[in-house]
Amino acid sequence: MPAEDRTAIRLDQFLAHPPSKVWRALTEPELMAKWLMPNDFKPEVGHRFTFTTQPKKAVGFDGIVHCEVLEIEPEKLLRISWSDGKQADWTVTWRLEPEGRGTRLFLDHEGFDPDDEVQQLSRRIMGGGWPRHFRTIDFLAATL
Amino acid sequence: MSADHLFAALASPARRELLRMLRDEGAQPAGRLAERFDMSRPSVSEHLKVLKDAGLVAETRKGRERHYRLEAAPLMELRDWLTPYERFWRERLTALDALLDDMEDQDAR
Repeated sequence: MPAEDRTAIRLDQFLAHPPSKVWRALTEPELMAKWLMPNDFKPEVGHRFTFTTQPKKAVGFDGIVHCEVLEIEPEKLLRISWSDGKQADWTVTWRLEPEGRGTRLFLDHEGFDPDDEVQQLSRRIMGGGWPRHFRTIDFLAATL
Repeated sequence: MSADHLFAALASPARRELLRMLRDEGAQPAGRLAERFDMSRPSVSEHLKVLKDAGLVAETRKGRERHYRLEAAPLMELRDWLTPYERFWRERLTALDALLDDMEDQDAR
């Protein structure tokens, strides 16, 4: 595993559809609900909205993601804040770039705390100090 | 492959070092791996066997030598488990792709 930016998840995907259509799926609430989560999004900077999904009691998540629209450039960029109510705030950014007849969609989910316990766990596994945490991990893995 | 085997295999610094060598340098014979450890060759072979049983390495015979290579799948699973948000987004992007295909169907009507 190469050295990674532990504060962000960065993904990209080619979509065989033009940016205008991908943009609709990213910014029309009914369409967003179909691939992401039900929401009351509006394409206006400063608009606060929520995504709602199944609560996950095990990790203390009530099923509501609190967001605010931070930046919009039609058919090019959408940036929103993203908070599950417990953790520090994240920023989620979608960027669209035309690629052939389709679109390359870049997704950045930024703001992960490198001292977060999951990140620490990752470091321990690859770096050492594992046995002390073995029981906890083993238990967690068994519940997957 | 059970989670027990995977985690037990990763619990040893020597086995993590073997994985690192295979990851960075690609497949290689057991002998070349063993000569870089300050332990007996049978001990290194035993570590390689634990890694093999955990599904982390694959073994092929070439003449009298056993060659080992890294198997990525269990580590990918581990990564998904450690970074649930990455898996979440990969699944959502797949759903987005499917939705776009559906939208096209509607437009064509």
